[in-house]
Amino acid sequence: MPVAAIEALILLLSHSPTSTISETLSLLSHYTNILKASVANPIALSAGTDLFQRYLISTLQPPQPTNKPERKGSRARQGDGTDDFQAIRHHLISNGRLFVARAKEARSQIANIARNFIREDTTVLTYGSSRVVGAVLAAALKACTNFKLVYVCNSSTSSTELPSTIPKPSPDLPIAVIPPSAVAHAMSHISMVMLGAEGVVENGGIISGLGTYQIGVLAKAAGKPVYVCTESHKFVRMFPLSQEDVGGEVLRFSEGGAGERGSETKKDESQVDYTPPELITALITESGVHTPSAVSEELIKIWY
Amino acid sequence: MPTAGLVTPSLETVLSSIEAASSADAINVESNIQYLISLLKRRQVRNSRACAIATAHLLSLVVSKYQVTNITGLIERVQEVGQRLTSAQPKELAVGNIVRRVLGVIRDEAEEDREGEESLYSEVRDEDAQSATPEEKIQSSSPSTSNPLRHDTINSKDLPTNVQNTKDGQLVQPRSLVSSQSSIAAGTSQPLLKSMFNLLSHPASNASSPSATPGTQSPRASSSRPMGDLVDVSAAKDLRAEVVEAIDEIIEELNTADDQIAGYALDHIHSNEIVLTHTASVTVQKFLLRAAAKRKFTVIHAETFPNDHENVHATVTGSVKASSNNSGTDRFHKSLVAAGITVILIPDSAVFALMSRVNKVVLGTHAVLANGSLVAAAGSKSIAQAASMHKTPVIVLSAVYKLSPVYPFSVDTFIEFGDTTKIISNDETDLLHQAEVENPLYDYVPSQLIDLYITNLGGHAPSYLYRIVLDHYRPEDTEPPHQETT
Repeated sequence: MPVAAIEALILLLSHSPTSTISETLSLLSHYTNILKASVANPIALSAGTDLFQRYLISTLQPPQPTNKPERKGSRARQGDGTDDFQAIRHHLISNGRLFVARAKEARSQIANIARNFIREDTTVLTYGSSRVVGAVLAAALKACTNFKLVYVCNSSTSSTELPSTIPKPSPDLPIAVIPPSAVAHAMSHISMVMLGAEGVVENGGIISGLGTYQIGVLAKAAGKPVYVCTESHKFVRMFPLSQEDVGGEVLRFSEGGAGERGSETKKDESQVDYTPPELITALITESGVHTPSAVSEELIKIWY
Repeated sequence: MPTAGLVTPSLETVLSSIEAASSADAINVESNIQYLISLLKRRQVRNSRACAIATAHLLSLVVSKYQVTNITGLIERVQEVGQRLTSAQPKELAVGNIVRRVLGVIRDEAEEDREGEESLYSEVRDEDAQSATPEEKIQSSSPSTSNPLRHDTINSKDLPTNVQNTKDGQLVQPRSLVSSQSSIAAGTSQPLLKSMFNLLSHPASNASSPSATPGTQSPRASSSRPMGDLVDVSAAKDLRAEVVEAIDEIIEELNTADDQIAGYALDHIHSNEIVLTHTASVTVQKFLLRAAAKRKFTVIHAETFPNDHENVHATVTGSVKASSNNSGTDRFHKSLVAAGITVILIPDSAVFALMSRVNKVVLGTHAVLANGSLVAAAGSKSIAQAASMHKTPVIVLSAVYKLSPVYPFSVDTFIEFGDTTKIISNDETDLLHQAEVENPLYDYVPSQLIDLYITNLGGHAPSYLYRIVLDHYRPEDTEPPHQETT
């Protein structure tokens, strides 16, 4: 999602003729707001857009005033600015594809590191349709590790459907699909939980699909490690204090009336919840394995 | 080689042979390396401090004898030696830590040299400024953010300001800065690549191949060329002397670590407290002795049967044990009893029973891992769990050289097994036929059971250790292995 957002913004930039920095920035923030308003839960999106905005602001700084006489004084300051700006714009646009390719590369780097957690004869539990987790499982499979997978399906979708990101069941990879109500029961049979995330917040917690928090709590109670695989561009500058801060209305009380009931039962699949850092054993990013407390360090590097 | 004679090989013999070699010619370096490798394999040099000291001295010898023409060559040489040492004894994490420290030192010195040279180049390249494209202007502003994963902020932050002071926005220098930064550390482009923020600004410098690690891949020579060009031979010789000096500082740190840790004793041990400990750890003994000089308290000492109980008895009663594992300086310290402290010796089974009366637990450790958990003497985990049940604080004393940047993918790889005859003698054939006897020497203690680490740099929470790892080790040297062997 953050990658898609950045791609979209770069495309926007290439199609809109702008000639000054402030025009670009205001155009960007206008469309960013449109993007954010169109998604029920904009956290993952804002990870990408904020990163992009931050990058632009830092590179589009107005040139430093100079007082050295031997510098090319004849060139007009405005001419300097426009030329630079067009070049930057061009540079940005041509980098768009490169960024996406790098983001995909990040996924395979994460897979390379994370597959070491999956040892022989372990059972991994996973939830959601994270492509990163899918890459990790595929990499472990490729390394001929014998392990089993327990997939917790989302009760709003069909119960036997595996998402396309998870490898298909095979003699090398037996997969069990369980409903969310069976997670506590299954905890004693698994060795670890591996999850993806839509966003990683400042205190090391994660924002992920609704149901992740539940699994985290159960894993902690059973003493099983929880590993979160995520790229570093999903780190957001958010510090939620409770589930309400993460948005989305989960509890919709009905006060009777058959007509109301019909409209209330629409299940919003993009609902998310917040899993606090105490429930997470480690975050696996392309820069290595981190404890949740190290996330703030990464954020500082990106933002300052 | 050590003089012939009936001397059991140990740390002393290694150090004396290294000293002999340092005054001789280069040929002896290899034999010293072989000697240390064989001692590591045979576990005649054991325990973190001995291994760390031996490794540091050996690397000092290697660096001083190396015919340096460029820095990459030196780094490769140290990596190669380091890899041989760590594969000789993978369970001694201190060896790998020291190798990484030395590599970090070499890279730091190389960067400082380069910084000095860049400021010389800047005046030379003044007239090229007009042809500079805005591309470089971008790259000039981004070096300040381009080293997110490197913590030597001294170098990376200084470089752009240095550059900006000599000229205005248009610079040729940034190009060489960026390429030199990317070629620094034998392919540091991997860390540059990792920050997504950077991806938008550094397409060119990210194209290099992944960097090398001491443990796994062989270093790539392709990115070394630009670095080699930039450094003079004379600068390289100075570098060698500087690196040897820095390694001497590391050795100094190793020798004084215990005393520095003991310096914090009075902050943590108060009068009339009951402190629980186990094993005959010299670090813990020095720590408690320092507190004993000013305070009166009680120590409950669990005897750590079967691996250390003789040493514990000797330590508690004050009789010096002539053990070849102790270096000379360790033997002559007072016992706590002589310092006026009440010491109660208990069997390990009594730890839980007595835990409710204990105010704090002080433990030593064999190694500390990157996530804040310990590889400590067997018995530590039960003590730590008993303490957590009673909400008793657990303090771990560990110098920074024991902190390994390695993340424990599997805890079993670090546990070493010892002599089973200490539990069941080989005479008991009936039992031995039917039972499997194991004697693990170490325990893995997870980080949530520990409340405080006291290192030679002060006290830290386990969640803060990642920062110390970042401060002491360079990310290029700490990359996780791509192939894990179980």
